[in-house]
Amino acid sequence: MLVNSDQIVQALIETLQMVSISFICSILLGLPLGIALLVTRQGQILENKSVFTVLNFIINIFRSIPFIILLVAIIPLTRLIVGTSIGTSAAIVPMVFYAGPYIARLVESSLLEIDEGVFEAANAMGATPTQTIFRFLLPEALSSLVVNFTIATIGLIGASAMAGTVGGGGIGDLAITYGYQRFDTVTMMITVVMLIIMVQGLQSIGNFLSKKIRRK
Amino acid sequence: MIHFQNVGKVFTNGNEQIKALNDIDLKVNKGEIYGVIGFSGAGKSTLIRCVNHLERSTAGKMIVDGHDLSTLTVKEIREVKKNIGMIFQHFNLLNSKTVYANVAMPLILNKMPKDEIKQRVYELLEFVGLSDKANVHPEQLSGGQKQRVGIARALATKPSILLCDEATSALDPQTTSSILELLRKINKEYNITILMITHEMSVIREICDRVAVMEAGEIIEEGTVFDVFSRPKTQTARNFVNTVMHDQIPESIIKMIESNNGSQNVFRINFIGQSAGQPLLSQLAKKFAIDVNVLFGNITELQGIPFGNLIVELQGSEAEVNRALEYLETKEIDFNEVIPHAS
Repeated sequence: MLVNSDQIVQALIETLQMVSISFICSILLGLPLGIALLVTRQGQILENKSVFTVLNFIINIFRSIPFIILLVAIIPLTRLIVGTSIGTSAAIVPMVFYAGPYIARLVESSLLEIDEGVFEAANAMGATPTQTIFRFLLPEALSSLVVNFTIATIGLIGASAMAGTVGGGGIGDLAITYGYQRFDTVTMMITVVMLIIMVQGLQSIGNFLSKKIRRK
Repeated sequence: MIHFQNVGKVFTNGNEQIKALNDIDLKVNKGEIYGVIGFSGAGKSTLIRCVNHLERSTAGKMIVDGHDLSTLTVKEIREVKKNIGMIFQHFNLLNSKTVYANVAMPLILNKMPKDEIKQRVYELLEFVGLSDKANVHPEQLSGGQKQRVGIARALATKPSILLCDEATSALDPQTTSSILELLRKINKEYNITILMITHEMSVIREICDRVAVMEAGEIIEEGTVFDVFSRPKTQTARNFVNTVMHDQIPESIIKMIESNNGSQNVFRINFIGQSAGQPLLSQLAKKFAIDVNVLFGNITELQGIPFGNLIVELQGSEAEVNRALEYLETKEIDFNEVIPHAS
């Protein structure tokens, strides 16, 4: 094995950093976008065809670019935002552009699951659009949102590993530079096991939280 | 209180136009319980949704509590909505929130202070008989209990109008009558005007003062519950009345008449109000040389007035039967010959 335990711990911390920061930023981007997608739909509380069409189009563009290409394609933008195109913070930018639109879609689908009757009740009570979103829609969709955010986080773990290929650091970087380029099978196995454990752990936590919210 | 003035509603779906309401003219007075009955697709859901602007009418004027809804701003309409409670067939409660939070919701939207909300919610839960369920989630409740939560929620802002959208259609008969009982109590104690739509004639019979029958987006018949039940004018109204007032002679009895003698002097005698109190049949048998054979009957009470009909067979010579019928006419008894379907 060509790496020591310090390097592994360091890689793990980097991955957790990348995933958690980009997750938070992606939610900040994706949640409002997802809500906007829902409420501007036809027949919805803030129906607006042009806003919906534009948002829908932009989100589809980002959703259709594979992450590995997005990573490279937006390097100028990344440089503009964080000042560099290499390293952990540079990886976060494409990760947000990857996961943000993805989360927007997931939020939209969570909100679409809400029973029509909830909208009707809110409308009959004279709720404003803001009240409808925060008092009715988000609480009703919370359990489903948690499941979907879990899916998005797992997607981000995958993306963080890919970011390693362009020197983003983290577990993926370790796997590429040692496991792949230097034929270090043991390191490769360790990184794979670490990723599996992270994904399994996250999925369990997500399921647990979602269930708890639903049962409440 | 609620006044539909030639209200129409057309849904546009692409190039297709669907007329849901056509020239609806309807007035619901303050403090009354008004029922609208119709089969599914008759337009009654659209009708009730025009009152609180869940649907916007495309023709005519919708006047609620003195406001012409089409002239109001979005903000003003929200205020009007707060004066209208609504309960739904599928309750439309928030499953993520407790019973308490569900009932409190309209008050939270009105930014009422927390302690006042608490007082009001417990008052409402007490009223609907669910004080012990405040911290339970709706999915742990039975259908009837869910509707009680819906009612408490609808009453939270002390509205003057309550809209009931098939409020008992998802409930069993026993629960239905307890909910109807509660609605009547609301109407009496708070003098709330209730407009309800239903496809169950028994619901109309139970609590409504007046009723409108809808078909294909139009009101085809309208009047007091007593009038519509006792003298339905249209076939649809008759069909609805028949669902609760079985005046069809059962098959077995028709067969019996046919096999017994073949004489077909079978009449339906309608009893309305006072005539129900007269010893009519025994008078007929005493005065004329006929036997009166009661085949089938149904007497009930509508809005405190006895009402019903008897299907009788008059056995005797034709002359005597005719004399008996003349006698009935002089007594101003409403009757008609029933022709068994076989002949």
